[in-house]
Amino acid sequence: MARVITITSGKGGVGKTTTTANLGTALAMQGQRVVAVDADIGLRNLDVVMGLENRIVYDLVDVVEGRCRLRQALIKDKRFPELFLLPAAQTRDKDAVSPDDMIELCNNLRREFDFVLVDSPAGIEGGFRNAIAGADEVLIVTTPEVSAVRDADRIVGLVEAFEKGHPRLILNRIRPQMVNRGEMMSKEDVVEILAIDLIGVVPDDEVIVTSTNRGEVAVMQKGSQAGRAYNDIARRLLGEDVPMLVLTEDQTFLEKFFGAIGLRPRRAAR
Amino acid sequence: MSAPIAIKGGKDGLRLMLAEDAGWDEVLTALRSQLELGTEFFHGAELTIDVGDRALHEDELEALLTLMHEHGLQPGTLATNSREGRSAGRAAGISTRPTNRHVAVQQRPAEADGALLVTRTLRSGQVLRHHGHVTIIGDVNPGAEVIAGGSIVVWGRLRGTVHAGALGDTNAQVCALELLPSLLRIAEFMARTPDQRPGGPEAARIKDGQIEVEQWEGKIRS
Repeated sequence: MARVITITSGKGGVGKTTTTANLGTALAMQGQRVVAVDADIGLRNLDVVMGLENRIVYDLVDVVEGRCRLRQALIKDKRFPELFLLPAAQTRDKDAVSPDDMIELCNNLRREFDFVLVDSPAGIEGGFRNAIAGADEVLIVTTPEVSAVRDADRIVGLVEAFEKGHPRLILNRIRPQMVNRGEMMSKEDVVEILAIDLIGVVPDDEVIVTSTNRGEVAVMQKGSQAGRAYNDIARRLLGEDVPMLVLTEDQTFLEKFFGAIGLRPRRAAR
Repeated sequence: MSAPIAIKGGKDGLRLMLAEDAGWDEVLTALRSQLELGTEFFHGAELTIDVGDRALHEDELEALLTLMHEHGLQPGTLATNSREGRSAGRAAGISTRPTNRHVAVQQRPAEADGALLVTRTLRSGQVLRHHGHVTIIGDVNPGAEVIAGGSIVVWGRLRGTVHAGALGDTNAQVCALELLPSLLRIAEFMARTPDQRPGGPEAARIKDGQIEVEQWEGKIRS
């Protein structure tokens, strides 16, 4: 049975698109047939993050308006034959599709895939409503900042009002050292406010920036903590009981020293 | 005589009671200042207009309807006992019915009006309006709003905005297990939570013309 999962946040720039690309890839690495749908019409990004920008011929709006068949608009990933992208239109806006169009589209994609991941635009207006219209489940991405958490809280209320069940939370871009110093909200703080289930914590990781710029995703980079966190979330989505990553501390002097001369002492158990 | 206007909540919704013996201007002024309390409590609400035995004239009704319209109120039925009132209602296209206000008022003391129990967390952007008391089992998160005609009791963390006694009831109070509202109002009084402040079960009520917060010992002042 296919699952339609919408990734949303309320606030912009917290990592919805990065999360969609990484979860899609991670699920495909687990042998699932996955399509990532960019619902951010007019501000498309998912194609860039997945490195598929220059393969776009048709887009989501073309499908909805009947200018092409669904199959024609689907772009196969470079590395994983089981991973596809349905890109957004860049020259249109959110009003180009309706929630009913999205429900129909998602139902058509269900027949072909195990997972339909919908990348929602920021905000709570039409674009967001389109993105969650066809969803079975919702993942809410937030960062440990008061403003992002406030917006996430608003989204939780809306998701509940649209009867999309209990959304689950991805806490992105956490910095363990800052949490330890009491300078950043901890995952406990965030969960206490939002009172929803946490499905994963993703550490702040420079690999996200470098891999995004190359159109690759962090889950494919060995040694990336963020990549590992996304892999764990994908496995949790598949029903595995994966313990939460214990985020490592600041590098010690010895680690820095060994790192500088090209050696890596074994870290204490994570 | 009684106050020129009173707004009561009952089984059939909100009822706007207009004094029978006060001057019409006085009635309208009183209503205007009530509506301008700065709350959106009434916005979109449908009110039964109860004028009792007053011989209400068409232009008087029209002035009232204009005022209501300005504040987003929907006129429901017009409860009137006079022939003039009935014909004014007909002219304005509002259905009319007789009123038995003197009996009705005695039967419904304000405090006994339907209290509301909510068993979920109110999240940012959600607004809860109720003409009576409100009890919430759950949190009121920042950005959420609770507006009640009576008291507000939160069995959880109160961090949003609350307005108790929004119809002017200065006996209303606000209690929470953690009383840290971004803005707290009781009737026409207002208070803000200081920035650094320990939380704990506390109750806020009006004392000597200002809002006072005390430890909540589980006793509800009657």
